[in-house]
Amino acid sequence: MIDVLFTSDFGRRALLAATVVGLVAPVVGAFLVQRRLSLVGDGIGHLALAGVAIGVLVGVSGVAGAMVVALLGAVLLEGLRVRGRLTGDLSLALVFYLGIAAGAVGLSLAGRFDTSVLGVLFGTLFALSWADVGVIALLGAIVVGAVLVLYRPLLAVALDEDTARAGGLPVDALNLALVALTALLVVGGMRVVGLLLVAALMVVPVAAGSKVAHSFRATLGWAVGVGAASAWLGLMVAAWHGGLVPGGTIVLTAIVAFVGFALVGRRTAVGHRPRRTA
Amino acid sequence: MTAAIEGRGLRFGYGTVPVIDGLDVRVDTGQLVVLTGPNGSGKSTLIRLVVGLLSPDRGDVVVLGRPASDPVARRSIGYAPQGSPGRMVLPVSVTEVVASGLVKGWSGPRRDGDVDIALAAVGLTELGAECVFELSGGQQQRAVIARALVGDRPVLILDEPTTGIDRAFRPHLVGELRRRADAGAAVVVVSHDPEDFHDVCDRILFMEDGRVRDVGHDEFHTLEDVGR
Repeated sequence: MIDVLFTSDFGRRALLAATVVGLVAPVVGAFLVQRRLSLVGDGIGHLALAGVAIGVLVGVSGVAGAMVVALLGAVLLEGLRVRGRLTGDLSLALVFYLGIAAGAVGLSLAGRFDTSVLGVLFGTLFALSWADVGVIALLGAIVVGAVLVLYRPLLAVALDEDTARAGGLPVDALNLALVALTALLVVGGMRVVGLLLVAALMVVPVAAGSKVAHSFRATLGWAVGVGAASAWLGLMVAAWHGGLVPGGTIVLTAIVAFVGFALVGRRTAVGHRPRRTA
Repeated sequence: MTAAIEGRGLRFGYGTVPVIDGLDVRVDTGQLVVLTGPNGSGKSTLIRLVVGLLSPDRGDVVVLGRPASDPVARRSIGYAPQGSPGRMVLPVSVTEVVASGLVKGWSGPRRDGDVDIALAAVGLTELGAECVFELSGGQQQRAVIARALVGDRPVLILDEPTTGIDRAFRPHLVGELRRRADAGAAVVVVSHDPEDFHDVCDRILFMEDGRVRDVGHDEFHTLEDVGR
């Protein structure tokens, strides 16, 4: 059954889209994790469900609605964070619930609260059109291009926001750019692994890479590799079985990779203990 | 002498209680100045006003002729906060930490030579590729200082640069800062241990009750319990 990924159009589309998201998601995720904002992708993903509902209700596509609400939600979340109102998990939890509840109510009102909702939440990888793949590739290209241009200032802010601000960097604009890129990525990954799992591809490969790398750049390299490999292996498992949701198998594969890297890596799960003396 | 840093009539408070009130201060180019004083005297607040992280309730801070909030003024400052780079979650190499001090704009220039010079200035040349969290606390502090030194910025502000650094290395660091001042930089060091800089600094500023005054080298010795 795995050969359908290479011999059929729907398989090739799935493989291409999953590869793009697997490669790109950790690129943004590394900066989010470094800034202790790992759950922001989830927050935007939950809000995007409300966007899907709004898009359906007003008669545009769910993707367009998700895009608008994800971007607005990203700006809102960043605004709350800057004002110190998103420091605890309670605020983020409220955002999660708002998104899911508004999405459920909106889709009910539109008469679309059916099994298609599962596709939004967990992806519809085998049902993509070439146009869908084109949109995903375009969003991925925008995200990668922006990170390539902004890599150094984004890293400077991620390492020490105060010092970056003191050094003249436009920290607020860079933070806004990062969450906007996260929103684009959430929408790009929505059809691939779903709104509930797309943030996992931003975080889990990065966590895996951090177990074996000595630098941020190396962590990023490993994470991109783990992301892409997880996309391929997870998709192959789903295709081989025939009845598994690819979004779930892709993320589970990434988690297995994390466990493997943690076992062979030299770091503990959280701390990096000093080993040298002054 | 040209004024590198000027604070005029500064007032700043957290809530209604002023930490700094009616403060005037000036540091010229080519000077190595030590700012000392007891805990809570407002040293770190003054530093954060100068580097633009805080805005005064009243008064002005001018850096090289521009308001401290001006991006050009900020880019002229190399700032080393107190302590190690503590917020890091992912592995980051020493070179990456230091190179982040070179970024001055959206896609700032990076000159590897500058990073090497800064690493050498703090004695970390051999450790550039190491993950910063595998270094000792003192070495991490030196990496933070190298981030401020990289790129030869004309104003250097270092908060407790010798804290946590072993005594054997301190003369090297103090000498490096003196050399930077002799080359024309304005160097401000906040220190609870001004003795480290006593023999090489141009001025000692003593901060107390939200105001600052020159105490001079001789008077400094008569002060008891400076900042401790």
